Amino acid sequence: MKDMTATRIPRAINWNRLEDDKDLEVWNRLTVNFWLPEKVPLSNDIQSWATLTGHEKQLTIRVFTGLTLLDTIQNTVGAPALMPDAITPHEEAVLTNIAFMEAVHARSYSSIFSTLCSTREIDEAFRWSEENPHLQAKAKAVLDTYVPGNDPLKRKIASVFLESFLFYSGFYLPMYWSSRAKLTNTADLIRLIIRDEAVHGYYIGYKFQRGYEKLSEAEQAELKDYAFGLMFELYGIENQYTEELYDEIGLTEDVKVFLHYNANKALQNLGFEALFPPEVSEVNPAILAALSPDSENHDFFSGSGSSYVIGKAVATEDEDWDF
Amino acid sequence: MLDSSLNELDYHALNAMLNLYDADGNIRFDADRMAARQYFLQHVNQNTVFFHSLDEKLGYLVAEEYYEEAVLDQYTKNFMREIWDAAYTRKFRFPTFLGAFKYYTSYTLKTRDGQRYLERYEDRVVMTALALARGDEALAMSFMEEILEGRFQPATPTFLNAGKQSRGELISCFLLRLEDNMESIGRGINSALQLSKRGGGVALLLTNIREHGAPIKGIENQSSGVIPVMKLLEDSFSYANQLGARQGAGAVYLNAHHPDIMRFLDTKRENADEKIRIKTLSLGVVIPDITFELAKKNADMYLFSPHDVEKIYGVPFSEIPVTEKYAEMVDDKRIRKSKVNAREFFQTIAEIQFESGYPYVMFEDTVNRMNPIDGRINMSNLCSEILQVNEASEFNDDLSYSHLGTDISCNLGSLNIARTMDGKDLGRTVGAAIRALTAVSEMSAINSVPSVRRGNDESHAIGQGQMNLHGFLAREHIHYGSPEGVEFTSVYFAAVAYHAIRTSCDLAQERKATFKGFEASGYASGTFFDKYTDRDWLPESERVQALCDGISLPTRDDWAALKADVMKHGLFNRNLQAVPPTGSISYINNSTSSIHPIVSKIEIRKEGKIGRVYYPAAFMNNENLEYYRDAYEIGPEALIDTYAAATEHVDQGLSLTLFFPAEATTRDINRAQIYAWKKGIKTIYYVRLRQEALEGTEVQGCVSCTL
Repeated sequence: MKDMTATRIPRAINWNRLEDDKDLEVWNRLTVNFWLPEKVPLSNDIQSWATLTGHEKQLTIRVFTGLTLLDTIQNTVGAPALMPDAITPHEEAVLTNIAFMEAVHARSYSSIFSTLCSTREIDEAFRWSEENPHLQAKAKAVLDTYVPGNDPLKRKIASVFLESFLFYSGFYLPMYWSSRAKLTNTADLIRLIIRDEAVHGYYIGYKFQRGYEKLSEAEQAELKDYAFGLMFELYGIENQYTEELYDEIGLTEDVKVFLHYNANKALQNLGFEALFPPEVSEVNPAILAALSPDSENHDFFSGSGSSYVIGKAVATEDEDWDF
Repeated sequence: MLDSSLNELDYHALNAMLNLYDADGNIRFDADRMAARQYFLQHVNQNTVFFHSLDEKLGYLVAEEYYEEAVLDQYTKNFMREIWDAAYTRKFRFPTFLGAFKYYTSYTLKTRDGQRYLERYEDRVVMTALALARGDEALAMSFMEEILEGRFQPATPTFLNAGKQSRGELISCFLLRLEDNMESIGRGINSALQLSKRGGGVALLLTNIREHGAPIKGIENQSSGVIPVMKLLEDSFSYANQLGARQGAGAVYLNAHHPDIMRFLDTKRENADEKIRIKTLSLGVVIPDITFELAKKNADMYLFSPHDVEKIYGVPFSEIPVTEKYAEMVDDKRIRKSKVNAREFFQTIAEIQFESGYPYVMFEDTVNRMNPIDGRINMSNLCSEILQVNEASEFNDDLSYSHLGTDISCNLGSLNIARTMDGKDLGRTVGAAIRALTAVSEMSAINSVPSVRRGNDESHAIGQGQMNLHGFLAREHIHYGSPEGVEFTSVYFAAVAYHAIRTSCDLAQERKATFKGFEASGYASGTFFDKYTDRDWLPESERVQALCDGISLPTRDDWAALKADVMKHGLFNRNLQAVPPTGSISYINNSTSSIHPIVSKIEIRKEGKIGRVYYPAAFMNNENLEYYRDAYEIGPEALIDTYAAATEHVDQGLSLTLFFPAEATTRDINRAQIYAWKKGIKTIYYVRLRQEALEGTEVQGCVSCTL
């Protein structure tokens, strides 16, 4: 563990002395994946947005406001709260990147709103997010674990659940729309967010596992109990949240299966076994297949795709110009 | 077992199962076939308007002004029954879900509310054939056969619009010059709007526009350069779309030695400021040989003010062969210039390609060396396969033309290589394709852009393309990019070139006319034919000989006879071939795209109208997967070798995309560009990247995730 006493000597971070190679691997991945919402031509979705019914629009805005809240928590509280627990200086650097990208994500939803919706609709949705008991309950459940002085590993558990589980009741909707040829550019942007969150959940889970290994068997058992307990609590809230949002459009059952799938993924990130049996975690193939950003062959004239990255610049040498 | 468990799934879910392996690690082709079937059962059949007879149907469609009456009036009722019968007895079925879905979402005729279908695939094919044959029954029958058998597929604008009463243009693609004056820029924007409205992709040449900081009317630091023009164009394209059917799309080309080149590239940076960021406009860079020479020496490259160049040489910058005049311009102190390091320039291109896939690249000197037509090629188009000469227009004070120049249009259509080879008669298939494309040129008159109309009238330029090369090779158990694969490509394209020129020569005799400027071309002097009369382009290996078994290929004597005919009678079409990337049409035609390797065994296709859909490579099954290595596995060299073999025989260009894993560096991209230039490639289209999921974060059992 890092020395947390006040007399600690300030040290410059040395990326040439890695204590954990994973830090550099994830840092590299996160930095090449850097993006800003301006890259996605969201305005191409305006026509498609107009084809949604009033209720579908309201649902979509609310889902995105819910996601904004989670990203805000992760940006302002979650990732910074993990920083004092960092085992290596490089982990701190990765966490600052995570915190920043969460801010980009939260910003992105506002880009979607300002492109597609009116101010009145947006304000209504933000008010809804402040008043919705289920949304507030899940925010509170996570925030409670982030309070200073709490067990660092418990914070990581909550953080992984947020990154790998809680987002997905919301991510379902844009994936669903895009499989129906609606809001495809918005879905591109969400897929960029998913690409980031997948790495965040994985990395924080990885760091959790390193801490967990060091514990005694009894401590491990207690922590695992805690993790499953928190999962049950969050799962209960998510169920109600899902029903409230998706009942009217008739997708609740499908979204719940998706929740199971992602709950299992979150637990897997922590190194734990799956909670839900495969029969109830078989996600609709159209949604599952929509999650993968890899090797998508998009039509450049109507979208920007989610597979471009910032490349590694290497100068050419004389031998390359041998002609 | 599959039937019972899958029946309750909708067709989108069934189709998506293609991208997820089954429990035994097999790709579920059956799920996709079921998706295609369910799509008809659950959706198409219920939503198709039913008619009791052909007469009733045609009567209704003409009366309701869906079909153009003039098209049908050219034929007798008897013949129409005959051609429709012949079409329907062929029992066409879509082998993939995406083929059917794409056809019904984007091509077929629908009721005006968009709710019900009025055509089946056969109807669209017959209407296209009837429209293009213009009353010639035998020709109509041959067009129908070639299209329905999948050997020839007209490009989207033609196949989508032919025979419909209210429709866009039949032509796909336009290229416009801009000159260094406000009249020309204004006219260019106007033309971009008009052409987008009619459904074309438009490319514009920016090379001649004076740079940022150049003087206007002698006052220094006045011009704001090419970026604001790009902004205006980008907004114009997003404003105009073809009845909402297709987003307007545009590209701009700039010479590498234009002073704004680095700013031009930076518009695609991830962190570009909103004021200068270009999102939906495509970029292309025109690179002469000299830039490579300078990079080789690790020297700086000079950038020249187009304004000064035009003043001194009396012609626009785009008319100047930069390689030839480079030293002279460097030494001329009347030309203001700046410089950047040539290697850094190439590296910047690669960086931007990483972030955005752009710019396209046109190798200016290669293109002009291989051009048999008199004149200079200074730009390409939205898909970087059109390479034709153009001529500047000049304007009066009242914005009318004082000299009407020529701009470029090109209508496209592609052969399915596998089906064409199966048909055993290249002369018949290529002949029909050239005649169909020529018909589109003759039927088109873009009055809103007079320079394009003039260009088309004088040149009858067309672009016959090819697709399904990888599908064909894989079906025959030949690896893409292998020596046999490259050899076949060379033999096939040489034969196609022969028949294309032969047909155009026939047309010149029938029409008693040649394209304007024929006398000054390499066709008229005969030099074009040297490489075909000096050597054979016939298969050498046993493997490729076996592939071509039963197909008659042109010999040296055939070429010599053709040369004599062409020199005597001329050619009707100034340009004949161009190999486009073939997106949509290769899905309905069940082909792999263009002559590219596949991007993935199961391709994830995403676009505005259809959302995300999954497409299996043509002829692939769980037994022959090894021949379906994708473009990222094959690597840039095998791809470039294949393209180089084809380029040899294509008078215009070929859309060549380069594929890299995300771990590649800018140096890898630069090396591939150098290799392509060395091998005589004319243009590079997109650079595509594939990032593999970080281990531990991937979607499990996903076919396209390649792990």
